[in-house]
Amino acid sequence: MPSRTLPWGPCSSPYRVASPPEKAMTAYLIRRLFQMLIVTVLSAMLGYTLLYLAPGGPLLFLQQMQNTGQNRVSEEDIARLKARYELDLYLAVRFTRWLIGFPGGPVRIGGWYLLPPDTVVGCAIPGQVRLRYPDGTVEIREEGCARAVTLADLENRRTSRGILFGDFGFSQQIARDRPVSDLLMSRLPYTLWLMGVSTLLAILIGVPVGIYSAVRQYSRFDYAMTTITFIGSSLPTLFMGVMAILIFSVLAKDAGLPYLPSGGAQAVRDYTIPWIGRVEAGSLLDRFLRFIMPVSVLTFFNIAGWSRFVRASMLEVLRQDYVRTARAKGVREQLVITKHALRNALIPFITLLAGVLPTLVAGAAITESVFNWPGMGRLLVDSLGRSDYTVAMAILFISTVLVLIGYLISDILYTIVDPRIRLS
Amino acid sequence: MATTTSAVPEAAERAQPRSEGQWAVVFRRFRRHRLAMISLAVLAVIFGASLLAPWIAPFPRDDIGLDRVALPPMSVDPENGKLHILGTDHLGRDFFTRVIYAARVSLMVAISVTTLVAIIGTILGLLAGYFGGWTDNLISRVMEFVATIPDLPILLILSAIMIQNADLIVLPAWIIGPVAWIMAVPLREATQVTLLILVLASLGWVGVARLMRGMVLQVREMQYIESARALGGANTWILGKHVFPNAFPPLIVAFTLGLNGALVSEVAISFLGFGVQDPTPTWGNMMGFATSYMFNHPWMPLIPGLPIFLCSLAFNFVGDGLRDALDPRLKI
Repeated sequence: MPSRTLPWGPCSSPYRVASPPEKAMTAYLIRRLFQMLIVTVLSAMLGYTLLYLAPGGPLLFLQQMQNTGQNRVSEEDIARLKARYELDLYLAVRFTRWLIGFPGGPVRIGGWYLLPPDTVVGCAIPGQVRLRYPDGTVEIREEGCARAVTLADLENRRTSRGILFGDFGFSQQIARDRPVSDLLMSRLPYTLWLMGVSTLLAILIGVPVGIYSAVRQYSRFDYAMTTITFIGSSLPTLFMGVMAILIFSVLAKDAGLPYLPSGGAQAVRDYTIPWIGRVEAGSLLDRFLRFIMPVSVLTFFNIAGWSRFVRASMLEVLRQDYVRTARAKGVREQLVITKHALRNALIPFITLLAGVLPTLVAGAAITESVFNWPGMGRLLVDSLGRSDYTVAMAILFISTVLVLIGYLISDILYTIVDPRIRLS
Repeated sequence: MATTTSAVPEAAERAQPRSEGQWAVVFRRFRRHRLAMISLAVLAVIFGASLLAPWIAPFPRDDIGLDRVALPPMSVDPENGKLHILGTDHLGRDFFTRVIYAARVSLMVAISVTTLVAIIGTILGLLAGYFGGWTDNLISRVMEFVATIPDLPILLILSAIMIQNADLIVLPAWIIGPVAWIMAVPLREATQVTLLILVLASLGWVGVARLMRGMVLQVREMQYIESARALGGANTWILGKHVFPNAFPPLIVAFTLGLNGALVSEVAISFLGFGVQDPTPTWGNMMGFATSYMFNHPWMPLIPGLPIFLCSLAFNFVGDGLRDALDPRLKI
């Protein structure tokens, strides 16, 4: 039997090497976890490279002040700030400190120093060389190092536990010096609600629609549904979101009809909606009213994917021999569809669920921005807008790890659910 | 428009199936897809308007006038009595002028990105599929890695970093010049557009490369490839003359749908403020400004919104029509 792969699903894992026989499951898992670790470190490196290359960090302001010459900023000030953001360390050292929190100081094993305290790991104040050209011009160039940073200096600094162990460092702009993880945790519930509810709704609506479309292929219902889902998936969520606000907030309000408030997860002050009455800011009703539009837009967008997927999968199964056999035996059509066809058609569906996982974090950045929804996607956009790259990198890193976990879960589920899959 | 074919020519076609070439068949089948043909017409109009933008624009592109801010559509300019067909924006600039210039930028960005993606993806996919071995291994590993990184966050991060430092990045004149000319923007505005194109293309090629690799893996096993090799053909000749043309059809569909993807990405990125910046109009940044003024001027988001809507839908319909037309299993 050939291994079945899903070329279309959002979760067709490129890492699916070959599905394992039951006995080799442990070995397979170990290999996969090792692979995941490598990819995680690689993506962390990529993120860190971007972080390092990205200007606009905390020093930009200081440098601008120094360049304009209005305020005298001493080299000591810069060195202190650099030390605070670890910008005085060599890239490799910074990276390992960021990744796994190593080295936190001199490394000793027993009484012996593996890395002695005077090992140079960075440069606090760069040396300056005055170059005098033959034509009389003078240029000051940074060269060498006036004061080096050693491992002994690192002992007094606060050391991250490492991003691999869940320490994402400190926010630089959005919430100065608060841990990034605090910031993420404050936004996570909003995104989970939004994505969770809209995914659930999309599945609850999309799957039955897909099944019915497949069973009644080329019927009027099928045509209508394929057209609607086609349009739903073609329209950018940006456009749908703005139009929803335009119709249900702006125009409805102007016409004196009951309208849906837009922007944010809750109101700042109380407001009145015709026919419904006074809505208290932050009440359940207020939150619910503000929840409706973003959820509907995301649901409408996602229904298309699910229903098309189920329809295609169902059509494929309905063509199989065992369905024909069941019909030939005289099994009732309803039973053929629910017992023979549907159960097999839903096999690939399970793996698709794992593909939802990474979208839970930053999958709705645009919808969240349009509706000003205080979730993770919006946080990503905000952090980029204000050059707070630590936050952005944390979000990128978490979603990459979630993608990998999603792949792994889907591959494992696949082998469990579909016993036909086995290959060396 | 879609022609209704009666039973008689159908029978005639069946009698002599080899009388028309492959592409004639495809075109005939495509014409039958009514929505795709309408979409093509819509695209042609928008595209034509964008190409003619410098000539049909009634006002200068960046002509700010604080005495005519946010005029509704079809209002008369208070100064010179000319008509603002679509009104003016929050700075009093003529919306019609800006929307066709924006079409130029948005569509050309989409086309350049998709072309770049198609070229890079095709070359890498062909190489990986045809040669196999370590070439395939290397390319496939890179593809896996790029595919693992979630596209939206990395796209936003990359473009934010690039655009916020656009003036630090010096691009050679032979890139900037043509881009500025194609987009009909001044030379100094071309850098950010180019950067955006590069960012979008650098992440988009994986899909095409995978597609091509898969197609080549199928085609490679065909007998005509074997005979071409038996004839002593060079690899480049086999690849160019035999493998590529046979692996080509799905690429057309991917290209059309890719146009939509690139357009929507550009719009989204510019909307969020990490793409092309204000004096240069694109549908995305126009949408961004329009949404912040829509509570007082509700027509504003429709002006850049409708072209986005139409193009997006049209690209999808054309892609759909092409897929139906190219699918050999549906051959009548």
